[in-house]
Amino acid sequence: MRNLFAFLYRYHVFLVFILLEVIALAMFIQSHYYQSARFVSSVHAWTGNFLEHFENSKDYFSLKKINQILAEENAALRSKAFTSDLSPANPHVTPHQYISAKVIKNSFNKRNNYLTLNKGSKDGIQSGMGVCVKDGVVGIVRDVSDNYATVMSVLNKQTVISTRFLKSNHFGEITWDGKSHHFAQLQSVEKYVDVSIGDSLVTNSFSSIFPDGILLGTVNRYNRDKSENFYSIEVALSVDYSNIDFVYVIKTPQKKERQELESKLNQNE
Amino acid sequence: MSKVLTHIQQFILLVGIQIIVLNNVQVSGYLNPFVYILFIMILPPKLPKAFVLILAFATGFTIDVFENSYGVHTAASVFLGYIRPSILSLVSVKGGEDLEAIGMKQLRFARFFTYSAILCFIHHFALFFLEAFRMSEFIDTLGRTLFSTMVSLLLILLIESIRSKTYSK
Repeated sequence: MRNLFAFLYRYHVFLVFILLEVIALAMFIQSHYYQSARFVSSVHAWTGNFLEHFENSKDYFSLKKINQILAEENAALRSKAFTSDLSPANPHVTPHQYISAKVIKNSFNKRNNYLTLNKGSKDGIQSGMGVCVKDGVVGIVRDVSDNYATVMSVLNKQTVISTRFLKSNHFGEITWDGKSHHFAQLQSVEKYVDVSIGDSLVTNSFSSIFPDGILLGTVNRYNRDKSENFYSIEVALSVDYSNIDFVYVIKTPQKKERQELESKLNQNE
Repeated sequence: MSKVLTHIQQFILLVGIQIIVLNNVQVSGYLNPFVYILFIMILPPKLPKAFVLILAFATGFTIDVFENSYGVHTAASVFLGYIRPSILSLVSVKGGEDLEAIGMKQLRFARFFTYSAILCFIHHFALFFLEAFRMSEFIDTLGRTLFSTMVSLLLILLIESIRSKTYSK
């Protein structure tokens, strides 16, 4: 027993070090799983408050620009409302709902970037919802507290967004290599697909996060080795991540129903 | 007692600069300066080492919470706190245990420069490596570490030179 205490005393610094590192790495590893970071989301309740305070003081200076952006968006929406067919193909499917929110913290030059929004579960936001602006897709909601939500932007190594070519319906996956906030990478496009520079990429309805047809970006560069089966494509993102003020969180109506149905496939296998 | 207050003041100041100013300066992915580590660097060498680790944990955790970085800063800061005594003994004659405090005034510029440069580099490397967590991005991580370390070091030396002048009276 005395030896044990002597041992503990002798190596106590190292043991404390290991203990604290294990706690830190546990937080880090837990962050790789959705909806598991309960602890973190409760902390967001008060950091969000703090961040909002500072964001508010910056608001005044950008009023003019925001006004202009909102006016443009209004115009775009108005034209859409008159031209598009509003009745959905299936009368039982309610259309997507959009919840507008303000960005109170944004980063785009880290390896993993997140945004913080000033709305949370009280406004109907849930983990896993899609987030977009008028230019295109921004990211996916990650953690939610009562009044705030954090969003994993496309500029994050954990974000993978299912996409398709607007012209041909061939699909692929968008990921980010961490280099420039203007470009992302498109993967899993097979070699027989006809790709050309400037092709638009939009979301598809494979996942129930985004509705079909929201712009992601355009093909900026592509090449394919003869030995490879897939293209490597660089995509110019349509959203300017350095300038995001207001976003829309997309609420997919029959998400739960669809997920339950699709999860039966996995159970049967 | 007044020394404790001084350190609390420094904590609030440095973490505040980090959260309010530096985290909002977004020049390039390769330039992410972190000055909050100065707080851990200048803790008195006579403080129990285990206690330094706990303070480093608390500092890193505070930054993590505001950065949405989930434990990355905590891990890097605790590591910094752990290797701090070895780096200190590397740059000081008697192993650093004799020093009342660590700073530019006690160590002189050249030694403080070496001390903070080594610690800053190791901290930043641990941080960016954890953040990317991929061997395939190793060169990128190294570039990020080098450029960010340069800027962090410049800011740390600037803040430290002001601090050592203010507190030397």
